[in-house]
Amino acid sequence: MRDLTDDDRSGALLRRVFNSEYGFLVVVLTLLVVGLSLAATNFLTPSNAVAILHQSSLVLIVAVGMTFLLITAEVDISVGANLAFASCVVMDVINQTNSVALGALAGIAFGAGVGLINAFVTLVLKVNSLIGTIAMMMALQGGVYLYTREAVQNHHQIEIFPKIATGFILGIPVPVVFAAVVALAGWFYLARTRGGRLVFASGANEAAVRLSGYSPARVKFGAFVMTGALVGLAAVILASLLNAGQPTAGTGFELTVIAAVLLGGTSLMGGRGTILGTVLAVLILKIIDNGIIMLRWNQDLQIIVPGLVLILALYMDQKKRGPAHG
Amino acid sequence: MKSTHVLSAVAIAAALSGTTALAQDGEGLRIGYIVNYATHEWYQNVILGMEQRAEQLGHTVEVIDANLDMARQVAAAEDFMAREMDVIIMTPVNEEGVVPILRRARADGVPIVLEGNPAPGMQTVVAICDYDTGYLAGVAAGEALGADAEGIRVMNVGLPLLSATILRSRGFMDGLQTVIPSAEMVHDLDGGGNPDRSQEVSAAALAADSDIDVIYGINDSSALGALQAWRAAGLPEDDLMVVGTGAEGLAFLNEMQTEGPYQLEAAMFPEKIGFTAIDTAVALFNGEEVPEYVISPTTALTLGEVSSYYSYDGESREIQWDAVNALEAPEQCMMYASDL
Repeated sequence: MRDLTDDDRSGALLRRVFNSEYGFLVVVLTLLVVGLSLAATNFLTPSNAVAILHQSSLVLIVAVGMTFLLITAEVDISVGANLAFASCVVMDVINQTNSVALGALAGIAFGAGVGLINAFVTLVLKVNSLIGTIAMMMALQGGVYLYTREAVQNHHQIEIFPKIATGFILGIPVPVVFAAVVALAGWFYLARTRGGRLVFASGANEAAVRLSGYSPARVKFGAFVMTGALVGLAAVILASLLNAGQPTAGTGFELTVIAAVLLGGTSLMGGRGTILGTVLAVLILKIIDNGIIMLRWNQDLQIIVPGLVLILALYMDQKKRGPAHG
Repeated sequence: MKSTHVLSAVAIAAALSGTTALAQDGEGLRIGYIVNYATHEWYQNVILGMEQRAEQLGHTVEVIDANLDMARQVAAAEDFMAREMDVIIMTPVNEEGVVPILRRARADGVPIVLEGNPAPGMQTVVAICDYDTGYLAGVAAGEALGADAEGIRVMNVGLPLLSATILRSRGFMDGLQTVIPSAEMVHDLDGGGNPDRSQEVSAAALAADSDIDVIYGINDSSALGALQAWRAAGLPEDDLMVVGTGAEGLAFLNEMQTEGPYQLEAAMFPEKIGFTAIDTAVALFNGEEVPEYVISPTTALTLGEVSSYYSYDGESREIQWDAVNALEAPEQCMMYASDL
């Protein structure tokens, strides 16, 4: 029997890091933080950390829902268009009722309603969710201009409204608090409850779930509606952040969200994924975005990098699933 | 039944001949406008200005939205030509893409007025001077800050994809530096011209260096997105000046009225551009000599001056034509895209 050489050991370590659930993400995150700290003097500052967390929060809120959806082997491409439309609904309802609570509820209800329709199209009409939600995206992109031809301005001037996006609780930006609560709740449900195990099972083996007396369709239905509702919550924050409902917002948002979820280790084929992986991946993408500006590199890279990350994530997903899965 | 058809045919023929007779006198013209992106507030106000001016002069305007699709714009132009519109106005989706249409229109004797961007082979274009717009705002910002101000640091939320927006940013810095020579651009960002992207890139830039005195946005969305990033970072607004460009819709009016840092607007009066485009279209139809570049005026507005040009009730705005029409447009721009 041959003794292990240093090369064998380092190769095995690399393989273990790449195959462990979070090892690769932690390594990338660490390399990014160390590299950018050395390259940009202002990177490792409290204000930049707050800015990165702030920028991550909108993506993370929706990415939690998308993680559930992808684990059940479904996807929602309409989240960006839903976000824009829902932000207009939020501002419009607040303008008309002078109530932030009603506006927020309307936005969340609108988002959930879109999720409900997506679920119906996918699970009842049996349209592939990729195609069905692309159709929904087109309908929403056109529909928002029937709803409003221009950005819905803040006519209510309620003092607390801008604080939803720009306020702080114990030094932490409010959107980060929202995102943390959503991520914690998502993690708890997926990792610690029977419902969470059903989510995994519905993506991994629908037939087995059915044989166990549960309905995978019901689980997927819930995942679609939850993703929509979280888009609605993100829309409340977006409307507050931009101080307007923006029909043009959310362009490319769905790609960032999906790239983050896949990079986080959630399988495109369903049955596998974690909220912690998604959190780490969102941070990686946003740190890359932030680093490009810090280093004063060409900002076109901010569009190119998520694309490259998506390819990397899919390649890693394939490797993890082994050659049998192609 | 047969007599009904005959009557209808006679009526249509009479209507058409009536239209032609009117059009020959330069009245009752049928003007077709192919806008490149009608959902944007800017173009909605351009169309509003066109419709108001056409109504004053007794003409009609029909609008088709190309929705940023060059093929759709070409199809719309062919449709207008087939229907023998008297004049066509186009905002090119792509300057090169409209060249075949311009060539065909010239061969068929159909007058075409371009709006916004010039294109090879055009007869005339109605546009603002982008560099001058930025320059005037830069001078106004410098005067507001005071000539003795030192070390003024600027964050430019630009759009390097378009020559027009590069000219605005360059004009702003040049104008500012004529009053405050030591002013410097600290951040030169690509905000994509939309508020969410502008907010995002500004947040990162401010985290890197928030020692900024002036934010300049190449349009209102860029300036407002950057301002929201400033607020989200919890930075003090007392010594900040925000300068937007366009006077595109209601957003800048809303923000200026809070009397916060949004103190200056480089107004480009989209309604006036629509107004001027109709006047140019009519002149072209009547065979009058029209310059290749018809310049629509711009000016920098403070909160105190805005109400002279726009009345605003919180829900909608109304352009004050007397004040806007009194503005003088330069005979030529200080700098063109070809100078870049």
